[in-house]
Parts: sequence; C-alpha cells; structure tokens
Amino acid sequence: MAIEGADIVKAAAFLGAGISMGLGAIGPGVGEGMTAAKACEAIGKNPAEAGLLTRTMLVGQAVAESTGIYSLVIALLLLFVV
Amino acid sequence: MMEFDAQAWVGVAAFVGGGIAIGFGAIGAAIGEGYTAAVANLAVSRNPKLSGEIFKNMLVGQAVAESASIFALVVAILLLFMDRGNATMLKAAALLGAGLSMGFGAIGSGIGAGFPAGQACLGLSRQPAAATRLTTNMLIGSAVCQTPAIFSLVVAFILLFMDFSAAPFNPTWAALIGAGLSTGLAAIGSGFGGGMAAGSSCEGVARQPETIGNVTTIMLVGQAVAQTPAIFGLLVSFILIFKVFPETTQIQTAMALLGAGLCTGFGGIGPGLGNGMAAEGAVRWVARNLPSAADLMRIMLVGQAVSQSTAIYALVVSLVLIFVV
Amino acid sequence: MGDLGRIHQLIISVGGQKLTFNLEVILMTWIVIAVLLIFGVMMTRQRGVLPHSMQVLGELFVGQFYQLTEDAVGKEYVEKYAPLICSVFMFVVFSNLLGIFPHLEEPTKDLNTPLSLGIMGFVIAHYAGIRSKGFKAYAKEYFQPVFFMMPLNVIGELAKIISISFRLFGNIMGGSIIILVVSYLCYSIVLPPFLLAFFGIFVGTVQAFVFTMLTLVYISIQVK
Repeated sequence: MAIEGADIVKAAAFLGAGISMGLGAIGPGVGEGMTAAKACEAIGKNPAEAGLLTRTMLVGQAVAESTGIYSLVIALLLLFVV
Repeated sequence: MMEFDAQAWVGVAAFVGGGIAIGFGAIGAAIGEGYTAAVANLAVSRNPKLSGEIFKNMLVGQAVAESASIFALVVAILLLFMDRGNATMLKAAALLGAGLSMGFGAIGSGIGAGFPAGQACLGLSRQPAAATRLTTNMLIGSAVCQTPAIFSLVVAFILLFMDFSAAPFNPTWAALIGAGLSTGLAAIGSGFGGGMAAGSSCEGVARQPETIGNVTTIMLVGQAVAQTPAIFGLLVSFILIFKVFPETTQIQTAMALLGAGLCTGFGGIGPGLGNGMAAEGAVRWVARNLPSAADLMRIMLVGQAVSQSTAIYALVVSLVLIFVV
Repeated sequence: MGDLGRIHQLIISVGGQKLTFNLEVILMTWIVIAVLLIFGVMMTRQRGVLPHSMQVLGELFVGQFYQLTEDAVGKEYVEKYAPLICSVFMFVVFSNLLGIFPHLEEPTKDLNTPLSLGIMGFVIAHYAGIRSKGFKAYAKEYFQPVFFMMPLNVIGELAKIISISFRLFGNIMGGSIIILVVSYLCYSIVLPPFLLAFFGIFVGTVQAFVFTMLTLVYISIQVK
C-alpha cells in the first residue's frame, strides 16, 4: 500500500490522542483517590465536620482533575483539529 | 508476500505471545506472595506460639494470590501447544493480543491479592480469637481481587479461539492487538486497587472483629467500584473484537483502533489505583469508627466517582476513535 | 472446546424485523423462577409464632437484607426498597449457582440477563431520585460542578449500567471458561471439582452480593 506523508501525520495524531488521554488519566486518578482516602480518614476522626470535609475534598479533586481535562482537550484537538 | 509465510508469522506470534503472557503474568503473583511471606514472618516474630496457624493462613492466601499467574500459565501453554491449523496473518495479531491481555492483566491481581493475605497473617498474630473471620474476609477479598485477571482471561480466550479468517487484514490487526492491550493494561490498576481495599479490611477485622459485617460490605462495594476501569477496558475490547471493520489501505484507521485500546488501557490504571486507595481509607476507618459507617460509605462513593471521571474521559476518547474517525 | 460460545437461537420474523430468542437462557431463567417460587411457598407455608426450619431460614435472610437496606437508604424507604433488594439477590444468586448442576447453565452467563437486571436497577434508581427530590433538583445535579460537564455526567451515569452488568457477566463467563478449559486440559479428574466449588459457589455468591449492594447503593445515592 502506498503511504503518504499526510496519512502518517493523521495516523500519528490518532495514536497520539489515545496515548495522551490514556497516560494523562493516570495521575488525576491516583491523586483524586489519595484525596478521597484522606477525606475518609478525616471523617473517621471527626465525623461532625462531614459536610465541610466533603466540600474540601471536592474542591481539591476538582483542581487535581485539571490535568486530566488538559489531556482530554489535547486528545480532542488531535482528533478533530490536526 | 504475506501468503506463503503467514504460517511462520503465526508461530512467531504464538511464541512471543506465550512468553509475554507468562513473563509479565508472573510479576504480580511473585510480588504479592513475597509480600505475604514477609508479613507472615513479621507475624510469627510477634507471636511465635501461633506459627502453625499463621503458616497455614499464609499458604491459603498465597494459593489464591497465585491464581492470576496460573491463568497466565494456562494461556501460555495453550499459545505454545495449541493446534494453529491453517491460519491467516490475522491469527498472528489475535495470538499476540491474547498474550498481551493475559500478561498485563495478571500483574495487578497478583500483587493485590497479596495484601489481604499478608494482613490476615499479621491480624492472626494480634487477635488469634478472630481466626475464622479473618480467613473468611481474606478469602472474599482476594477472590474479588481476581476479577480483573478473569476479565483478561476472557478476552485472551476469545482472541485465541475465535475465527477471524473472514475479516480484512488491515484495520482488524490493530483492533485485535488493541483489544488485548485495553483489558490487559486496565486490569493492572483495578487489581492492585482492589487488593489495597482488601488488605485494610483484614487489618480492620483484626482490630475490631465485631465490625466484620460492615467492613466486608464496604470492602466489596469499594472493590466493585475500583473494578469499573477494568470493565471499561473489557467493553472496549469487546467492541474492538466483535465490530466488523471495512477493509482499507490507509494506516490511519489501524492506528485509531490501536490508540483506542491504549487509551482505555492506560486510562484505567490510575482511576483503578485511586479508587482502591479511597476504598482502603474508607474501610480502615469504618473498622475504627463504626457509627459513621454511612458517612464514610457516602464520601468513599463520591470520591471514587470523581476519581473515576478520568477513566470515563478515556472511554469517551476511545469510543470516538472507534466510531467517529 | 468447539462449543465455546455456542447457543441455540430461535429467530422469528415479525413484520420485517427479526426477533432473536436465546432458548437456553430463557429455559434456565424459567428454572430459576420456578425454584424461587418453590422456595417462597415452602418458607411461608404454615407460618406460626413457633417457626419451622424453612421459616427460620427465610426470616433470617429477609431480616438481614432489611437491615442492609436500612443502613443504606434510611428508615423511611426500607419498606419500599427492601423487597426489591431481596428478590434481586435471590434471583442472581440462584442463577449463579445453577451452573454447578450438570446439564444446567447459568442464565447470567449470557450478557442479556445481567444487562436487563442492570437497566432495571438504573431505571428504578433514577425514578426513585425524581420521586424523592423532584425533577428540578434531580436535573440540577447533572450540571454540577459546572454546566458544560453535563454530557460527561450523563455518560458517567450510563457507564454505571455497563459496569454493574459486565462485572457479573465477566465473572460468571470467566469462571465457566476456566472450568471448561481446565477440564479439557486435564481430562476432568482432579482440578475441575475444586474449580467448580470456587467459581460456582464462592464467586457466584460473592458476585450476587456485589450486584445487589451496587443496585442498593445506586438507589441510595439518588434518594439522598
């Protein structure tokens, strides 16, 4: 089969999109899990503050999520724009 | 060019796949059993009178932890010795995919199943009266840990025995290798994470044996949620295996399918581990603070759901790669 | 090994559409339903203050699941959801255990059964959510934390159906494949009975419990 330059660029973009989102999902997943584990610990120690702790956990996770969102954006750019 | 040496390539793929299956598949069980043995030694040094009980418990736990690599061994033996018949080039991709799926898929479950076994040994030395409850909890926890390895086994067997001779070679080869990678890689995090939850539940039962009902329930729910990334991997594998892709000469379709497999596969590692950590924290504190079990369950599920979102992004990108481009 | 994945299908064409029935799965599901009905009749027959053995078994079982449901959804919803949770567990556990009898197969080995149970739980959970919170508050949750996350939240909810049903399907299917392959490799002498005990009884029961607990958890997330 005759493979042209544009083909290879497109193919690399697709493969890159997959790898970008795949590897990009590892960090936030682990980090948010750590946050949730510590939040559980905190609630176990001080159940009265459950509402406050849940809010704090969610804000922290939302920040940790941002790198995952960057990966998603890059993956979608590679899929549809490049 | 492909016609006359297809047979040789299928042989090469079978042998390489078999090597990958048992080579990678042995990593997990070895680490997990080593951990169990190390902690069992610690337990014996704390309470030498119970060495017989602890030894028995260690062996039972290691036997369960071993099962993931036994699955890998079965797949490797089948790859080496099964009748390859008059196979096409596509079979080579399928066999390589089967080896990748089982090899990577056994890592997480093998390591994970070591944690409950080790913690149960340590718990025995602390709380000999709770021996039966500890063993039950350990068996349930480490059996659920095996689920991601079982998913990899299902994918590996489908790839081994399904007949792909009618499918076109070009995009399908990437789909089959991608299918193997998707379940195999995604199973690493889920198996490991499920093991962390099971380990801390054994520790909790040893600390407060009367909390076993709540601890086992929250452990099972936590482990089940931690397996969701592996299930996404299984779903993508099934789509890649059973969807019929039209023949094409372009390389980009093939790369999109391979990318889809890699995306869900790698994307499942982090959320699986993270969900396991969340479950570990919740289980540990349910055992210490039983009255707030409902609160802990809720926050564990909320935290896991957020940590799962990146696996869902990876699933979305994979589905776009398969169906849209 | 050739019968891996082979099923008998009945295909009826109705007005140009082809309806496919997996005969074995339907038959096995009917067997499970019949067994459940027999158990139900035996447990509730001749009820008295001084219970007979079957009644004790039934009361223990129902009491356990009422307690679990109360822990999850709170006192006000127990009466409403505990019967559902009990019957889901009984159906799934009997389905998973059916495979240990010769010539019978688990209905949960076919993806259709877990998928329909999963969809049922999903619909009930969301209906319960709308009923208890009102439609506005229910719909508002999809726009958390920011409104453009709506599509991803919807996919996340739909992914729950996939995860709950594929988990059951994969475990039961994987167990039966392992038993088949190991019996084929070692001529059914030593290992298969132990494997059958492990995958058929132990994993089958644990997975049925996991399925039931997740259905309960999905309901409890929605009603709270």
